[in-house]
Parts: sequence; structure tokens; C-alpha cells
Amino acid sequence: MLPGMPASPQASVVFLKVQDFARRAASEQARLRAQLEAVVAVTVAEIDPASRVVLEAGDGVAVVVLREPRGALRLAERALAAAAAGLPLSAGINHGAVQVFKGNGGMTGDGIAVAAAIAEFAAPSHLLASRSFRDALAEVVPGLEAALAPAGTFTDPGLRSHELFGPDRSAPRRRRRRYAAASVVLVLALVGGGIGARIAKEGREPFVKSVTQKVQPYLRALVRKLSY
Amino acid sequence: MAAKKKTIGRYKILGELGRGAMGIVYRAQDPALDRVVALKTIILADDAEGREEYQKRFFLEAKAAGKLTHPGIVTTYDFGEQDGVAYLAMELLEGTDLRARLKEGALPPAEAVEVARQVAEGLGFAHERGIVHRDVKPGNIRLLERGRAKIMDFGLARMRAADHKTVTGMVLGTPKYMSPEQVAGSPVDQRSDIFSLGIVLYEMLTGSRLFGAEDMTQIMHNVTYQEHEPPTRLKPELPAMLDFVVARALKKDPAARYQDAAELAADLSTCLAELRARPASPSGEPTGTRTVKIERSAEPLSDAPAARAIATDTRLPLARQFDSSAALDRLAAPSGRDRRRLARAPRPVGFVRRILADGPVRRLFVALVIAAAAGGYIAWG
Repeated sequence: MLPGMPASPQASVVFLKVQDFARRAASEQARLRAQLEAVVAVTVAEIDPASRVVLEAGDGVAVVVLREPRGALRLAERALAAAAAGLPLSAGINHGAVQVFKGNGGMTGDGIAVAAAIAEFAAPSHLLASRSFRDALAEVVPGLEAALAPAGTFTDPGLRSHELFGPDRSAPRRRRRRYAAASVVLVLALVGGGIGARIAKEGREPFVKSVTQKVQPYLRALVRKLSY
Repeated sequence: MAAKKKTIGRYKILGELGRGAMGIVYRAQDPALDRVVALKTIILADDAEGREEYQKRFFLEAKAAGKLTHPGIVTTYDFGEQDGVAYLAMELLEGTDLRARLKEGALPPAEAVEVARQVAEGLGFAHERGIVHRDVKPGNIRLLERGRAKIMDFGLARMRAADHKTVTGMVLGTPKYMSPEQVAGSPVDQRSDIFSLGIVLYEMLTGSRLFGAEDMTQIMHNVTYQEHEPPTRLKPELPAMLDFVVARALKKDPAARYQDAAELAADLSTCLAELRARPASPSGEPTGTRTVKIERSAEPLSDAPAARAIATDTRLPLARQFDSSAALDRLAAPSGRDRRRLARAPRPVGFVRRILADGPVRRLFVALVIAAAAGGYIAWG
């Protein structure tokens, strides 16, 4: 660990894994690696160079993004979209502890290891994110975490369970609708409660009369406007 | 012993070519065919039982090696035994062995790949016939004129290992070029030769010794656990594909390795085509790629072996194509606020922040406030 750095810096790690990399011929591996590097070069350009470290993995690439989970998610989505033609890529995103080795000897940490494990579970062209990444995303932009819907709990070969989430484009819309419906119901309930309380207090006839008196001028004005 | 003799079997000794762990290699003449050969002698065990066993094994291995006729394999002509000395008459080759050539440094990339390809083809031929070399190392690879290379001493390692095993209870050989399964004393197959050839290829390409250490235990540990640095990190001018070829040949798990030498030879042919198609770079600089210099780790190697093994599992090197120095500088010397933020794990979003920043929640909250006000006004206004 470097001398001045925080004890265990937390970062979002995007692990882009080429599917079945080890089983491919070396010539294909070289081609896929070059393709992956091109994809990463394009997608990583969006992130401030002071906020990202690109690491080489045997079967892919890991991008460590500092304090920008939203950027990490966008990077993963863009990489998968860019790789759709001919590059069998999957992505795992995690937010966790990372550690830099002295002399720029690379990075390690649970943040990276879990991202790599998650990428193993993702199907080609799909991404999966951990609960901690979802929390990090929510902390930066509350509400954005709704874009990651539960995908299940997976156990890695080290018998560690991961609660994972996958992107769901329609989830934010559904959430908005749900909240809007809840707003309508609650508004109706509160207004209805007010009316109920007034009726209980004054009786029905006086209430209807007073409402009619108050509303009538507006209704007349409205009818006049419509008749022109 | 044999050194003082004028003949061994029907072979007339002309001179000594070298000495090894098993015996002496002579330059000899076969009077029957008027042909000069390399005569490798192997001293048989002293006790009668061991000697019989050894002799049986020697004849079996020599017979198997004699069936191998391939441009990449040194041909065995004849074998026999005389006065406690077994001998093998082999093709006498001019040229030098790869071990001597490597003392001068790395081979030019195309030459290194070509040598490895020829050896891989030779090994592939032997593996198809069920023969595993078990001791692929630079000392067993002969470099000939016009870029030819041949591998020799098929099966001899097995005899040597078996012999020493009975004597001392240890597996002997050349651990630096052994596969992890060979070091562990597990049964080996053709994939073990592929691992050994991977080490030889690495050394030919980079000129640096892989898995080298001061003592045998450390070498064996390195073979089993240490991951190699990709050759292009040491020699950026090498094609990237070689990283994958070497990585696959050097997989610790035999199941993840090349499954046969022909597959390795095919990949090396592709690398060779790429190397030959490259325009010559007079400065020796890499063409077409930007390389960021990575300093070698200055960490002391004092960790316990197990700790090192765990660290190498998850440790990922920096990608050379991308300059990550700005972020690393930020991590090395973060500002006060940045330091706190970087060290902090994600916290649950509070109620007020949720209302202020989360659109649907904010709208729901505003609607509730307005509805509550309206309800209250209606009730009591």
C-alpha cells in the first residue's frame, strides 16, 4: 500500500470479461484482446483520468472508478453495447476496497475480486452489479439505483453469496408510475378525510351548501367561458 | 571405464563430446554403415536387481525413442549394453545447444518462435505415439544451421528420475523446467512437456529466467505458484499474441493448458506469420502501440509463501495501453476531503436527502403536503 493513501480506498470496479477466453485459440485471444482494448479506450474516455485505473486481467479488463459509480455503470453499459458486434463480453460491477501496490505494481482488493466473481455469473452482453454497488449508486444519485433490479443470489466457488442486480430499463418508469399512483391514492385519502371530518362536524346539508356557494361562481365563470 | 575403451559395442570411439549426469557422450563411428554418430552412454546401477530393472526400462525407452523419425527430433539409430554401460547411438548434429545460445541473451523474436514451433511439432509427433519427453529444457534442444532445431533425449528423464527415486526417494531432474504436476510428483502426460516448452519459449523471447531461485525448494514453489509476467512487458516489441500463447502454455492447471503440442505449434505458426509480416523497426521500438513504462514492484519478498500465493490470485497489473498515473497519484496523495470520501463505504440514503434528490419521492412528498394542507383546510378552514 502506498504511504499517503487511505487505509482501504473504496472504489467502483467494472470487470469486463471475455466469455470463454481461456478456451479460445491464441490468435483469437489476441484478436479479442485488441477488440476489448479498443472498446475500453472509447468508453473510458468519458471518465476523468484522475478517477480511473485500468487493470489487465487474464480474460478481460478491470476498470477501477473512484467516487463515480454512475460513470462506472455507464462505462459498463457502453462497453457492452460497443462490444455487441463480435465481442462476447460480460460485465460485473462491484463497489469495495481496493489496494495499490508499491511502484505501480498493480492493484488488488476485495472490490476487484468480487467484481471478477460477479462477471463470471453474467451472461454474454449482460451486466450484473453487487448490492454494495447499488448502495453506492443510490448514495451519489438517490433513485438511480432503481435502474438495477434484483437478479437473484449467486454463490461463487469460494462459497461466498452475492446478492446481484441487473439493469432493467423499465424499472425506473414503473417506479415513477407506482409513486404517482400512491400519490393519487394518498391525496384522495387526505382530501377525503378532510371532507369526512367537516361532514362529521357540521352535518351533510350545511357542508354541501357551503361548498356549492363557494364553487358556484367559479362554475358559472367556466360555463360562460365555454359558451363563448 | 568406457573412456579408456577404443570401442563400445560395434562403435569405434573417436572422441568425447561432453559429460552429463548420466554418463559421457562420445563421437563414434559405426563401421557397419561407415557413419559418424553421437554415442550416449549411461552407467547402469551396481546392484543386480536394480541393474536388471534399469536395463529393462532403458531398452523399452530406447526402443520407443528409436521409432521417432521426425525433422524436429534427433534420430536414435541403435542401442545396446556392454560391461555395465548402456549406450544409445544417435544422429550426430553440428551446431550448438540452446542453453549455450541463451547465455548470450534472448533470441530474435522470429527465431525464438520458429525454434519453439519446430520443437512443438517434434513433441506433437512423439505425443501422438504416446511418448512424453519429460525433460524439455534448453540443454536438450539443438540449434542447427538454416534455422533448424531438434529436440533430443526422449525418455531419458524417466530413466534418470526413476533411478534416483529408488536411490534417494526424491524426484530429480531439472525443476526449473518442470511442470507443477511434475514437481508435485503426480503422473504427467504430454501437457507437462507443453509447460516446459512454454518456459523455454519465455526464456528465448525475453532472455530472462523464469521461476529461477537460489535453492531447489524455492524453484519448486515458484513453478507451482508464481505467475509469470507477460513477455510483452519485458519486451514491448513482441506481438501481443505471444502473451496469450505463453500464458496458455504456462497455465498451472494442465486442463487449462494447450492439450496437445500440435495446437501450440499452430498458434506459434500464426505468431510467426505476424512477426514476419511486420515492417522492420530499425530502432527496435514497438510499432503501433503506446507503452507506459511500469516500474517493477519494489516490495520485499519476505511474505510467507502462502500470503504471496493469495496476493497473486487477485492482484491485477496496470494495463499498459492506458495511462492511469493521474488516478494513482490521486490515490497516493489525496486531498483531505478526498481522503475521507475515498475511504468511506456507501451509506444508506437519509430521508431528507431522499426527498430532496429523488424525483418520484419528492413528487410524492409534495403531493402529500399539499393534500394534507387541503384536507386540513377542508376539515377546519
